[in-house]
Amino acid sequence: MSKTKKSEAPQYELLYIVSNTYTAEELKPIMDKVNKIITDNGGQILRTEEWGNKKLAYPIKHQNYGYYNLVEFTTPGEKMQKISHVFRITSEILRYQIVVKEIKKEAANNKEKERARERAVRAKEDEKKKNELEKEKTKTRVNMLELDEKLDKILETDDLL
Amino acid sequence: MSNQNQMTTKDKECHFCVNNVSDIDYKDINTIRKFINIYKKILPRHRTGTCSWHQRKLATAIKRARVMALLPFVKK
Repeated sequence: MSKTKKSEAPQYELLYIVSNTYTAEELKPIMDKVNKIITDNGGQILRTEEWGNKKLAYPIKHQNYGYYNLVEFTTPGEKMQKISHVFRITSEILRYQIVVKEIKKEAANNKEKERARERAVRAKEDEKKKNELEKEKTKTRVNMLELDEKLDKILETDDLL
Repeated sequence: MSNQNQMTTKDKECHFCVNNVSDIDYKDINTIRKFINIYKKILPRHRTGTCSWHQRKLATAIKRARVMALLPFVKK
């Protein structure tokens, strides 16, 4: 069915906020619960990160603070719908967001390098142009000064009245 | 706050191109914060000097940060 070849399982990045109504001790079982949801659906947890209790930019469900947690994991793409559905009905989680993490391949890396090189070349050219422009500006300034001097001389010597 | 957001006219190069950033992370709020104004709106390209390719990425990053309450949608 699928046109493209099946590559490795995509990497995902989950960030979720646990309600501040739970204490720090109660947080651990909730985190385990979340991790279990992922592993139960054929996922594999790569990395977890705790941000701790943080102030929210705006209140969510009348809560001003929340525990932020980050989980990086891989799972087959078909399972994502189920996982996000479970998160949606988990009452402890105030909000969550799953983002596909791009794994850089060699081709992409090479492209980036090329882009950086082009940028460097362009920057050099720009500098050259800038220098030339400045030179021209100073030239014109000198010309103006000379003209002023000439005018002064004319005004001094000739009686215009 | 407002002074911080106002870029000088000299600063017209794309911040992300100069630093060679290809993926703008929505969790990196300190960087993203420079690209919103005091009303927490996304600043236009001509104010910040961001290139169009990065501006598109920046916009999604800001919107993602808003959803996770890392950045506000509106000023309080």
